[in-house]
Amino acid sequence: MDGDPADEAWDAGDLACGPMLLALRARLERLAPGRVFRLTTRDEGAPVDVPAWCRLTGHRLVLAAHPIYHLERRKD
Amino acid sequence: MAGKFCVSLTRSTDDTDRATVAFVVANAAVASGQETMVFLSVEGVRLAVAGVADEVHEPGFQPLKELMTSFVQAGGTILVCSPCFKKRDLDATKLVPGATIVGGARLVEFLSQGAACVSY
Repeated sequence: MDGDPADEAWDAGDLACGPMLLALRARLERLAPGRVFRLTTRDEGAPVDVPAWCRLTGHRLVLAAHPIYHLERRKD
Repeated sequence: MAGKFCVSLTRSTDDTDRATVAFVVANAAVASGQETMVFLSVEGVRLAVAGVADEVHEPGFQPLKELMTSFVQAGGTILVCSPCFKKRDLDATKLVPGATIVGGARLVEFLSQGAACVSY
């Protein structure tokens, strides 16, 4: 993607719900605070769930354009 | 500020009694001024598909379709477990009005905000 601001990207494939969120958490924790992560997920629950997870965890949702989401890693 | 109330339902046409009572209680909650969510998971997700609830009418209760419709019209929300829905190969283009497919984080968020929850 041209002009992609993401520092790291991951396609969750068939993962959804809890297993996807656990894997996502592990990847985000490895990022430096403030860096942007691009998640690709085709899970139909993601448009509601990814924003909810960001509110719960403190990571900032900077783009929600299903199936693409950009998350800014929270500042510890 | 309204309280939050969750009704968790894991049954559909496999247990019409539980499915019906869950929506009776959901109607009571929304009528009591509670921000009310029905969370459909496991077999319960089938009720999110239009037409499935249409033939359910437990003796002594309103028809299930009426209960679901009145719940949504009163401001209640129906959230549907995404992996449960996908596992059953159900059609996401045929959701009943007011139903949204979600993952576990939305349920966790709602409950973590102090919602009471009753399960059927």
